[in-house]
This record gives sequence, structure tokens and C-alpha cells, in this order.
Amino acid sequence: MPLLYVTPQFTIECATVCLIVTVFFKRSAPASSLGHLEACVMDILWLRGESNVRDVAEKLARPLAYTTVMTTLDRLFKKGFLDRRKSERAFRYSPRLSRLDWERQRAGELVAGFLAGPQQSGELLISCLVDNLGHDEALLDELERKIKMKRQELDRGKS
Amino acid sequence: MTLSFFARLLLLSSASFFIAQLLIGALVAWIAPAAIRRAAFMRPERAARLLLSLRLLPAGFSTLALAALCVPSYFRFEPRIAGEEVGVLCAAAAILGAAICSVAMYRTLRALIRSALYVRECGGLESRIEGEIVWIVPHNAGVALAGIVHPRLLISERAMTGLSHDQLVVALRHEYAHRASRDNLKRLLILLAPTVFPRLRILEQTWAKCAEWAADDRAAEGEAGRSLALAAALVQVARMQSGIAMPPLVTSLVDADEDLSLRVERLLRPAPVKGANLGMEMVAPMGIALLIAAIAMNPASLREVHHLLEILLN
Repeated sequence: MPLLYVTPQFTIECATVCLIVTVFFKRSAPASSLGHLEACVMDILWLRGESNVRDVAEKLARPLAYTTVMTTLDRLFKKGFLDRRKSERAFRYSPRLSRLDWERQRAGELVAGFLAGPQQSGELLISCLVDNLGHDEALLDELERKIKMKRQELDRGKS
Repeated sequence: MTLSFFARLLLLSSASFFIAQLLIGALVAWIAPAAIRRAAFMRPERAARLLLSLRLLPAGFSTLALAALCVPSYFRFEPRIAGEEVGVLCAAAAILGAAICSVAMYRTLRALIRSALYVRECGGLESRIEGEIVWIVPHNAGVALAGIVHPRLLISERAMTGLSHDQLVVALRHEYAHRASRDNLKRLLILLAPTVFPRLRILEQTWAKCAEWAADDRAAEGEAGRSLALAAALVQVARMQSGIAMPPLVTSLVDADEDLSLRVERLLRPAPVKGANLGMEMVAPMGIALLIAAIAMNPASLREVHHLLEILLN
């Protein structure tokens, strides 16, 4: 008796289930984003403009191996975040999108992803936007003012 | 489809896990809104325990039922014949069970790697504040707790210079409270617990909010001065943070997506802190575990479980 005997009909049924599962999980997968080091490298390139690996490595807050920076730049190039051209014997990298364009594109993808989901996702998005807008300078100033008032009230109570 | 004894066990385990997960998950998703409403009237520490228990209930129950009922009954009553027919529905449930577990494992591994890389990227210097070891990091971490087994307290250089001594001490007390209640480990358990119901994600978010509030309460200990210092520290750190989201297994003093104003307003009206007690939210999971253990010890009920497994298999 073989360990596993699969009929053609069963194979088709399993393939259908796998397809449904794949489509379901693909829809809920997050959009590609930048890792911490990638974000630092992009920050440097947005600030300095076209640079080679050594320039970027020198500007990083923490010393990293040349090859680590080179791999990160290569990965960003393959992801489509950077352009590169050969200058003498080394590549020089430059951002393909400005910071503003990239952030706009990322926000667009995020919003589109949420709006394509169930109604609850849309509500969550709006709730998060409200919360994040709450961290703006005006609100932080207002919170600071309230804390000061409370402190004065407390000091008056003590004296 | 015909499968061998052990292949059937694997398939049945995955299928039973998925079905138990689906049934208990549906029940939890149904009661989640009521639980969140109830949690609003509870002390944050208790509310956090209730919400976490509910969030982990489907995965915990499924794992326990699988380990204590399905596997023992299979080994005890299943004839060790080489091949037996397996139905399509059982195979589909098994595939879905394997899929949700794989997704949970992937999310967990990804979070662990991202958090470890984040800590490595941050680097920093070991230092001591109020007798506790902390890591002063050049990057913009604000004040954060990273790691599961031996959590590391990270403070950015900007936070060290920007916060007053009182603010720094109370911010550290807040992170110690997270460390004492093992919140990073709970985050890991949440990632490990698969779910098919989006409503359970709201339980997660509300738990995260309650865990922050509970840590605030433990840091302030109902003292008005400390509450004010913590509120001021929250506002200062919110100003410092650049908006880069923290990895999932790093607890930050201020999260980018939280309602900061609500948290500060709450600290401006500190409530007296009562000691934590073992409430119904802990009794219920223990009761379920005891019930499963009692069923597992009774041979007649194991036979019934095996009968159910036979129905599922065919």
C-alpha cells in the first residue's frame, strides 16, 4: 500500500482550495516598506543626492561594513527605490523618487489597501488618522498648556 | 485520498486545530464588542488581562484540545492500519489549519528578526540610571523596551538631554512596569496565536491601549506629581519621535498610532491604585483548562472524541 494515493479529482479540489487560500492571504499581505537601515540610507541619499557606497557608509550614524551598505544599496536598487550609474569603477546611486513623492505613493497604497478591505478597515483607518493628526504641534502645545495649569493648581494646593 | 497512520494523524491534527479555532474564534468575535465595552469600566490592568485572555482563547483552547484530547484518543483507539480514506472537507480544513499556522509563524519570525535587527542597529552604550541598566542609543528610540527574555531598556540621547530628571525617572518606571508584566512576551504570544477573524485584531489594539494605561498607573502609583511628570514626558517624547514606527516586539513610551491626548488627560486626573487581584478573566481560562483535563482523563469521553475524529476524517 503506498503511503499516499491521490486521485486526479482530489488534486483539482486541493488546488482550488490552495488558490483561494493564496488569493486570500495575498490580499491581506502588507505593502512592501523600508527596513530601519534602508530608511537611514534613503534619508542620506535624499539629503546628499547622488552618492557612492563609501559616501553613504561615512554618513551613517553607526559604523557598518562596506559590504553591508553595498548590499543595502543594491537591494534598494532592485526594489526600484534607486537609480545607479557606473562612475570609474564604482556605482553611484541616486533616489528614483523624491521623499515627498515616495511618501505620497506609500500613503496612496495604504489608503487604497484599507478602502478595498471590509468596512471595519476603513473605520480603523479613519480612527488612526484622527489619532495621528492628534500628535501635531498644536495639540502637543495644548496638552503642555494643560499640564502646566495642572502643575500650578497642584503647587497652589500645596502652599 | 488514502493516507498512512501518521499522515492521518498530522492531517487530523491540523484539521481539528482549524475547526476548533474557527468555532471558538467565532464565539470570541461575537462577544468581543461586549467585552471591550465591559473593559472600559474596569481597571486597566484587569481590562488588559481580560482582553488578552479572550484574544488568546481560540489558539490556546485549540492547542490544548489537540494535545489533551485529539492526539491521545487517536493513539488509543485508531487501528494501526496502513491506509484509510480521507474526505475532501477534512483535507481542506487541514490545509487551512496549516496555512493559518504558517502565517502566524511567519509573522512571529519576521517580528523577532525585525526587533533583533532594530536593537542591533540602535547600538548604544550601557549605563546605569537609578540602579538599573539602560542603553543610551544615538538613534531616535525615545524611551523603549526591546526584547523578550531579557528586555533591554533603550533611551535615546535626545530623550536623555530633553527630559527632566523627574520625567526620565517616571518614564523608566513606566517601562519597568511593561517589563514586570512581560508585555513584550504577550505581544509575541499574540503574534503566535493565529486567527481568521479580523474582530480579534480590535481586541489586540484595545489590549495594547489598556497595557499602556496599566503601565502608566503603575509608574505614577496614584501620585499627582508623578502623573504630571509622566504626562509631560509623553508630550516631550512625542515631539522627539520622528514617526518611524517601532518593530512589533518593541514597546515604546509613545506609539505613533495611539491617542496621546486621551492618555495625557487620564494622567491629569490620576485615580488611586488598588492591588491586582485574580479576577474572573483568569478564572475562566483556568476553568476551561481543567474541564479539558477532566475530559481527557475519562476513557469514555476519549472514545467519543475519537468517534468525532472519525466523522471528520471521512
